[in-house]
Amino acid sequence: MATTTGSTNTPATVHKAYRKSVWLHLGEALLWLLLICIAIIEIAPISWMFSTSLRDPKNSFDLPPDFWPTALHWQNYLTVINSPDIEFMLFFWNSLKIALIVTGAQLLTCSMAGYAFGRLRFFGRDILFGLFLASLMVPATVTLIPSFIIIRSLDLMNTHWALILPSVTSAFGVFLLRQHFKSLPEELLDAAKIDGAGYFRIYWQILLPLTGPALSALGIFTFLASWNNFVGPLLFLRDWDKFTFPIAIATIRGYMGSGNQSEVLAGIMISIFPLLVFFLLAQRWIVQGAAITGMKG
Amino acid sequence: MTSTALPDDKTGGLTKRLTGMTLARREAWAGYLFATPALMGLLAFTALPIFASLILIFLHYDLLTPPKWAGAENITRLATDSRMFKIYWNSLRLVVGATFLNNVLGLLLAVGLNRTMPWGIRYVLRTSIFFPVMTTTASLAVVWRFLLTLDRGVVNFLIGQIGLDPVPWLSSSTWALVSAMIYDVWKSCGYLMVIYLAGLQAIPAVYYEAARIDGAGFWQQFRNVTLPLISPTAFFAIVISLIGAFQIFDNVWVLTEGGPGDASRVIAMYIYEKAFRGFEMGYASAVSFTLFIILIALTLLQFLGARRWVHYE
Repeated sequence: MATTTGSTNTPATVHKAYRKSVWLHLGEALLWLLLICIAIIEIAPISWMFSTSLRDPKNSFDLPPDFWPTALHWQNYLTVINSPDIEFMLFFWNSLKIALIVTGAQLLTCSMAGYAFGRLRFFGRDILFGLFLASLMVPATVTLIPSFIIIRSLDLMNTHWALILPSVTSAFGVFLLRQHFKSLPEELLDAAKIDGAGYFRIYWQILLPLTGPALSALGIFTFLASWNNFVGPLLFLRDWDKFTFPIAIATIRGYMGSGNQSEVLAGIMISIFPLLVFFLLAQRWIVQGAAITGMKG
Repeated sequence: MTSTALPDDKTGGLTKRLTGMTLARREAWAGYLFATPALMGLLAFTALPIFASLILIFLHYDLLTPPKWAGAENITRLATDSRMFKIYWNSLRLVVGATFLNNVLGLLLAVGLNRTMPWGIRYVLRTSIFFPVMTTTASLAVVWRFLLTLDRGVVNFLIGQIGLDPVPWLSSSTWALVSAMIYDVWKSCGYLMVIYLAGLQAIPAVYYEAARIDGAGFWQQFRNVTLPLISPTAFFAIVISLIGAFQIFDNVWVLTEGGPGDASRVIAMYIYEKAFRGFEMGYASAVSFTLFIILIALTLLQFLGARRWVHYE
């Protein structure tokens, strides 16, 4: 380091420093270019979808494409919502109902088990927790066939229970919350015990309120996974009035996509609109949560 | 004096008052009680299915007639199922391509976004790149299907604007799998960006300061500081993207429907179709176990790798 100050004036180092700064700026410029290009590519299909959903249906296939709304044909949205043969708002309600129940159930069961495994001592605890850890390795593709047979033998085909029951808990959620509960200081619980708090009160009034970030991350991604679930409804649901958004949209595309792109896109806009609003409001937590949990919606 | 005696009195009184049981037994009961709901879910919808599919492998079962014993027939059939190998080859190409692109792009985007820039610009860039991650895979595949249409598709229109011939994205056997890969990268690279961003932000700034004092340029900092310190994150990210990509289903199901022919059919689709179109539950379970073994191997790799990087961290 001492030598650099001494030799800055020699032409060779000046030249080297200059070359270095050229490379630096080139790297910076390329990164900016990449960021901007990718951001445009990522958002263009969505803005195209929005713009095209607002086109008059008879122009819906016209080129050039719009990436910014040129028409404001909101009737497409009304047509989809008021469509006589498909009750679009029913899909909304179905999706929402299932996602809320699944999220609530998982937050409850996972946090309870997380408390038991992280904070209580009982015989067989580590073996049981090991079972949860092992089941983290089991992919959904493998349990699909036997789950179908189980749901069928329980006579739950074509009901929403078929989607709710298999998702009432998640090994990942138990693991995440157990780690979190384990990291809380012991003194906190001792103080509560001395004050005479029972196990339920410790769990409900002391541990849960301190678990905000982990709980909200788990909740957000459970909700997303349920809202976006495609294989489950494809497998278990038969009737239109039971459908959730993803399966309904894939089916609608089949019989009206060739005729009317705008209305199908309006339907998709309605189905992702809640996600969009939610994302804009809670982006910070969602992005952090994705990084913490390594889960994807 | 009284203040030290008080807590003892209180806890002693508490145990006696509340129970005939010892504190340890009460704690054990509470433990079982709290673990029960999750445990029941685990047993019914993970443990039981695993055992059921282990048995299914040795059965012929079409859901309608009672299951028949098949011995090892389903397993020996795997070896001769050339269609399965072809479909695995598709999956492998999709997995390798998508994992590579997702991780390279994810890392570069994270490095780009991890620099000082005005808050508003960072917000817009991050929002745009991450938003597709939130959207529904099946629904956005419908959108991409429209975009990639041969005749009136937007992508071919834009390609035409720069003087290239239209590409049969969904209808040609060479391009269908590429389209599925493009869609997956579009959908997931923002997610990997976020994971890499978290990894980058965990690197202490002093390392960069030291590198800068030593006169390291942008590229040297990236090579000698960022890459080595991001490697644990990269390892995790690569393994989870491999595991995810092997299970791709909705994407291809909607976008290309596996076609043309089998050109873009992937293994999860094949399992689904064998089971729920062909009603060969036993054979489909056998195929799903081959995938299970691959994914277990990848997961173990992740655990072993995790142990290694904890050491040199």
